[in-house]
Amino acid sequence: MVLYGNAWQNDYLRYGVDFGILEGEGIAIVTRDGEATLYLDDPFEADRASVECDDITIVVCKDIVRDVAAKINSFDNSNIAAAPQRHLPYGLAQLRQKHNIADATVILDHLLMVKAEEELQAVRRAARLADEGYAVFRDAAQIGVEDYALIAQIEAFFRANGVDDNFMIIGVGGPEMRGMAPPSGKKLKAGDLVTTELTPCIDGYYVQICRTLVVGPPNEAQQKAFSLYHEAMIAGIDKVAPGVSASDIAKAENDVFRKYGLGDYVTSEYTRVRGHGLGLFPDTKPHILEGVETTIEQGMLLIVHPNTYHPEVGYMVLGDSLIVGPDGAEVLTTTPRELFSVPQTRSAS
Amino acid sequence: MRHGLMKWREDELSQADVLSRQYRLQKSMEADGIDGVLIYTNHVRSAAVTYLTGFTPYWSDALLFLPVAGKPLFATALSKRVGNWIKSTNPTSTIDHSPRPGELIGKHMIALGCKKVGVVELDHMPGGLIDEIIGVTDVQLVDASTMFAEARTVRDAAEIALAKKANQIATDAFASAPKERLLVGDVTEALELYVRNAGAEECYVAIAPDLQKDTRLARTKGQVELGETFAIRLSIAYNGVWIRRTESFLRTAGDDNLTQLARWADGLSETVDPSLAMASQLATSSRPAGASISGWTLEAPIGNRPLQAVATEKNQTEQSLPYGVLTIQLDTKQGSFVLARPIGLHLSPPTAEGAV
Repeated sequence: MVLYGNAWQNDYLRYGVDFGILEGEGIAIVTRDGEATLYLDDPFEADRASVECDDITIVVCKDIVRDVAAKINSFDNSNIAAAPQRHLPYGLAQLRQKHNIADATVILDHLLMVKAEEELQAVRRAARLADEGYAVFRDAAQIGVEDYALIAQIEAFFRANGVDDNFMIIGVGGPEMRGMAPPSGKKLKAGDLVTTELTPCIDGYYVQICRTLVVGPPNEAQQKAFSLYHEAMIAGIDKVAPGVSASDIAKAENDVFRKYGLGDYVTSEYTRVRGHGLGLFPDTKPHILEGVETTIEQGMLLIVHPNTYHPEVGYMVLGDSLIVGPDGAEVLTTTPRELFSVPQTRSAS
Repeated sequence: MRHGLMKWREDELSQADVLSRQYRLQKSMEADGIDGVLIYTNHVRSAAVTYLTGFTPYWSDALLFLPVAGKPLFATALSKRVGNWIKSTNPTSTIDHSPRPGELIGKHMIALGCKKVGVVELDHMPGGLIDEIIGVTDVQLVDASTMFAEARTVRDAAEIALAKKANQIATDAFASAPKERLLVGDVTEALELYVRNAGAEECYVAIAPDLQKDTRLARTKGQVELGETFAIRLSIAYNGVWIRRTESFLRTAGDDNLTQLARWADGLSETVDPSLAMASQLATSSRPAGASISGWTLEAPIGNRPLQAVATEKNQTEQSLPYGVLTIQLDTKQGSFVLARPIGLHLSPPTAEGAV
């Protein structure tokens, strides 16, 4: 099996060889008898891989596509599959017909979605750090601080505590705020909603928490809106069980918005997904969306987050990660489901 | 992903700066009979699109199509909700969204009457995107990596200034690192905090916690104990431009010999030209007594990767480069050390060329 990865879409590669690539590209060839060779195009990454993954063969390439193509061309009468199909470099994709290379994306997708117990151990550690990370975030939030300085606090905390990577976006503002993005230098001011998705990665496994805080006391509209998101998240989590579909969970969340006349705000114009899978990728399948009929299975790791735009207060987020157990959700993140408030008296020096 | 400061700063990189770069590439297209250049981007293979537009995706991927004349089209699978952020950080492109960005670009090529399109790093382009393009158009796709690399070699004042800024952040971060340190996390936490507070877009920290045992740098957990000597590599992006800086340390105190080595490396960064033969430049530099070079790697931005190895002590090639990062392994009586410095930042950019 030929597995491609880079620091963005690393999950297929990491599943095969457990290397968290940061720079350049990596391609692993994993044989049925368990031999794994990792091709890397960056000599420093190859150094790092040789320290972090000492049980695989590492090859440094000047032209990774050419070298892996040569290796594939050397296989005689082998059944070869590759994943992920969309990202396989064109120079290798061109070999699909010649070598009858099968698409292994669906096989890998299922392996990535349903976790083994050893994987769930890393997941639980990551969940603990997601909670601790949000506490750091909350403590660092104060009037006058720039959004990127908030993130600096989190990243420093994570690096000191064994978190290799973190997916994180942020929103600062009010009704004009339509979503989250990387920090742009906004300074927190009284009345702002501050939203974040925090997604620490431990040993390759990402767990997410979504929370919203208000700088100063929340107003009535913000509190009322938050109670709606809270109700929607609980409705979604309560729906989680083996055998239901991703669509069922999304519908449970969205029905709460519809009940309050906010059905327009669960459409793609205002929100992307109502949750998603987590694991070796911070936004993996299944996407929790009405219309996605993927069956939920025991051992899946999901986040349920009814994050969307609210016309009165702006973009608001709330979400908890969970493992699908035999009887329903085992919620991992333990940060209180509150609309947090930062005292207005706390100001950046 | 990128999650440091990302915003358009006209005073650091102006629209005129990136339009000049686009114009220069368009002139190369004209000369080569190419109707447009197509470039893939994600946050790992971001450098070519960042160079031409100043834009780096924090997440997901996209395609940039620069026609031989006119404005580039940036096609992304990111949703329209993210469109305002993209527009605010990519002001010289037309932005369009589609779950099938390759198809969107293919149709755009048809509308422009393109017959032959250059693709930067064609063999590395995600096969799924190429499938989308050739599903709607029979335009001839040819590799344009060399053409792009040549157009990109011109030293650019804005890029050099950003690289200097990134280097200063790294230098100051190392200077601010705690002097009392026992664990890897004691140092990496402080460095990461400093670099991100200084407005870096991204920061990777790699460490060789005990140089006496192993000089390879890796992403080491914070709880690992430091040896008597250790090395840290800071890779920093500031406003889309990457540098690295590696320093070697004694765990407990300063050391005159190490200080001399670091000053020698600082001197190299002020004198070495990345475009000239590196081995001979290193051979003629006056190293501190007792220090010998056991290996070196020169990296530079020439294609889609922010920094990629272009020469080593085993593969000594020469090519014109805008700037570089030189990593050197040194052997001394005290043991092995690793140092890295940006190079070529002291060289003057040529007078700006190309009307906009």
